[in-house]
This record gives sequence, C-alpha cells and structure tokens, in this order.
Amino acid sequence: MTQKKTILVWDPLVRLFHWSLVVCVTSACVTGEGFLRLHVVTGCVVIGLILFRLLWGVMGPHFALFRSFVSPPAEVLVYLQSVVIGHPTRYIGHNPAGGLMVVALLAVTVATSLLGLVLYGVGEFSGPFASWGLISGVQELSLLKKIHGMLANGLLLLVALHVMGVFLTGWQHRENLIKSMFTGSKTI
Amino acid sequence: MHQKQKLLGIGLFILCVGGGISLGVSASDKERSGGKQHRDVAPVQEKQYSADCGSCHFAYQPGLLPARSWEKLLAGLGEHFGENAEVSQEVQNALKTYLTRNAADRVDDGRSKKIAASIAPDETPVRITETRYFVKKHREIPRRFWEKNPKIGSLIRCEACHTKAEEGSFNEHEVQIPGIGRWED
Amino acid sequence: MKKSVMLCGLSLMGLLLTEGHAATVDDLLLQYQREGATGFSAAAGQELLNRTGQGGPEAEGKNCASCHTTHPAKPGQHAKTGKVIEPLAPVANPERLQDAAKVEKWFLRNCKGTLGRICTPQEKGDFLTFLLSVR
Repeated sequence: MTQKKTILVWDPLVRLFHWSLVVCVTSACVTGEGFLRLHVVTGCVVIGLILFRLLWGVMGPHFALFRSFVSPPAEVLVYLQSVVIGHPTRYIGHNPAGGLMVVALLAVTVATSLLGLVLYGVGEFSGPFASWGLISGVQELSLLKKIHGMLANGLLLLVALHVMGVFLTGWQHRENLIKSMFTGSKTI
Repeated sequence: MHQKQKLLGIGLFILCVGGGISLGVSASDKERSGGKQHRDVAPVQEKQYSADCGSCHFAYQPGLLPARSWEKLLAGLGEHFGENAEVSQEVQNALKTYLTRNAADRVDDGRSKKIAASIAPDETPVRITETRYFVKKHREIPRRFWEKNPKIGSLIRCEACHTKAEEGSFNEHEVQIPGIGRWED
Repeated sequence: MKKSVMLCGLSLMGLLLTEGHAATVDDLLLQYQREGATGFSAAAGQELLNRTGQGGPEAEGKNCASCHTTHPAKPGQHAKTGKVIEPLAPVANPERLQDAAKVEKWFLRNCKGTLGRICTPQEKGDFLTFLLSVR
C-alpha cells in the first residue's frame, strides 16, 4: 500500500493573501457608496494585496510562482476535457483551469479597484485622480460609475465560478481544498 | 520555503498592505465631522450673515464656496442676481471676514474640501449650483422633480429638499423631495 | 406701599416699551420731515406698494407687492427663492420698525431693486404711516 504523504502546497503568505482578499472584497461589496471612505480604503488595500501577489508570484516558493500554474490555453482545454469525461487529471498546486481563474480574478479585481480610484477622483474630486474631476463631466462620471459597477459584478460572478470550481475539483479528487487553503497542506 | 524567503515575503506583505492602507486613508477624507454634530459643512454661526444674507434666501454656509467667490459676491451686492443686496461698508467688511475665514478652501470639513477641489484655480464661481461638485452630485435628479415643482422651482433652494441643510448636513439619506419622497438610488 | 411701587414701576416699564416702539418710528418720521417731507399719507404709502419702476431689466414688473403681497399684515414670499417673509405691518409682526438701521437698510435695497432709485423721505414716511395704519 502506498504511503500517504502530506506536503505543504500553499505557503503561509499565499494563504494570508487569499483570505485577506476575501475579507476585503466582501467589505468592499457591502460598503459601496454608503460608507465611501471605508470602501475606498478597502479598495486601496486590495491594490496593495494584488501588488504583493504579483511580486510573490515571481519571488515566492514553487507553488506560489505563476510559472508553476499559469498554463497555455491548449492545456486548459485538455484539463477541462478530462473533467468533463469524469477523469480529471490531478495537480498538486493549481490545475490549469484554476490557474486561469487566478489570473482572471487578479486582473478583474485590480481593474475594479483602479477604476474605483479613478472614479473617486472624477466624482469626489479626491485621491490621486482628483484633478481628473476638473477635466471630466457628468457623462464621464456616469460612464465610469457604470463600468466600475459592471466590473464589480463581473468579479462576483468569477468568485461564484471559483467557489463552484473549488467544490467540483474537491469532490472529483476527494480532497478538502478549502481546508488546504487554511492549513496549506495536501495529501498525495 | 527558506527563512530568507519567508522574511522577504513578510516584509513585502507588510509594505504592500501598509502602502494600500496609507494610500486609502490619505486619499479619502472624512466627509462628515465626527461627534454629535454630524455635518458636512460648518453651520452658519454668524448672526450678521444670517440677518443680511439669509432673509431672502437660504443662508448658504461659507464652506460652500472658496474665499475668492465670496469676495466677488460681496463686491457686487448692488447687482445680486437681479436684486439689490447692498450693505454698509462696515457690514460688508464684517461679512467678508466671516465668509473668507470659513470658506471652502480655508477649512477642514470634508465636503468643503471636495467643493474647493472641484473648482479650478482660475475660476471664481458665484453660483454654488454651478460648481462641478454640485453639478455632479445632482446629475441624477430628473428636472421634472424640481423645475415645475411649486415647492422647489430651482436648485438654489437647498432647504426645500435637504432637510438638515441649516445644520450644514447635506447627506443623501436626509433628502426628502416635496411631493415625491425620499431619494432612492 | 410695596405693591404700589411695583405697580408704578410696571406701568412705567410698559409705557417705556410702547414708547420705545413708537419712538423708533417717530424718530424716523421726524428725520424724514427734516429732510423735506410733509404731511404723511397712508393712502400714498399704499400706492407705493404696488408701484413698479425702472429698476432695470431684472426688475421688470417687480414691485413691493411681488414679495410682500398687497396685504402687509400677511406673510409674503420671495418671488425667486420662495423664502417666507414675515408680515410688514407691526400689528401682525411686533418686531417690525423696531430697528431704524434695519428699516433704512431695506428701504435702500428694495427701492433700488424695484424703482431703480432710492425712495424719497416723503415716500418712506408715507409708507411707514401706511404700515402703522394697517389693522
């Protein structure tokens, strides 16, 4: 009988990053325009968190590195096929679909946050883009607000897909992926 | 993960998150002052101003316009939006002191600072309703809500919808549009 | 003894108060007379209420009644801002005509704003007389 080994996949910092992001995104969702200052501060923390992840993705341990899980589209398709036919290939770190989701989430999250900062300047004449408020009118403001909202909704959709993907993969491989995101360990 | 890498990671994390927090906190302003007096701009404390400038219209708080706008208005009281609002030189001086000292570009109130930031340095608006901040904040209100509404008629009548305007509070949640109700968006 | 002193004091106070009120207006009327006005007429004052003048293009069709209404005992409303203006007649608004500087200030502003010129002492006296006559 093969010995079951436990290895550390998610280092403490990548886990800390992940759950901090969860808290911040949740906070940003519920604060919105009603608690604008908190919303803005949260958004700025998100930008900081993503900056960290980008740096950690090139400086951190193996499973945190982008080159270890970001796959070409062909590989993503191959993996998805294996999922569909019920024999999903097992990856210790992120599988190719998961890797794609990471990239998508990071991109949409940072886009939402950055646009939010721009919106803050244009609509509230505050923050690093305050001067943009002087060169923009109500049309631009309304448009920016709409896009920021759409991006935020897109982010929530991705989060929903991400959660579904985690449950599906966990079920298919008979492993508790959420627990792994807390302890960092997986059994192989 | 080696010790060095761990330390680097922790340092990076603290820097990035710390940076985010400081950016966020410095970029945003407390719009409303804390404590019991929840207000966006300082309420009018000066009796002279209330008497001389608040008899015909709402006593617009000095924190709603920059100092140079107040000076311009005071210099042209003989032709004040179609009315004569002359005052004696003595009163004019007193008003100028009060208004400029508490103007939007001189105080710390969050909303005042935003209003001031919405006016270019080479502009001297005399109408609050024409400042970019005001225009953007009121952009979503359909004209029909106020234009032919006998209880409003014009956006210059803050007190018609902003129920706590006199206290210096213009919060969206305190708005009650006569004949329509609360502003929901 | 104490009661009668108090009574005296009270009636003196009462006299002074009403005297004070009347004194301000009387002072003004005297001043206008010194400036050349004669024989004030409430009817002439009432006419002033409705008179339009050359206040400039903004004052087209604007007169005292536009904001103060034709009934000085009733509250008025600013034509543009809608702000409520308390009645002019002292019978309805005891605070009126108590402050000479205030009376003069509003004469200056509003005569210029409606008639395009300052009111003459005669007109001012007539108008105050009219206000006092309103029941």
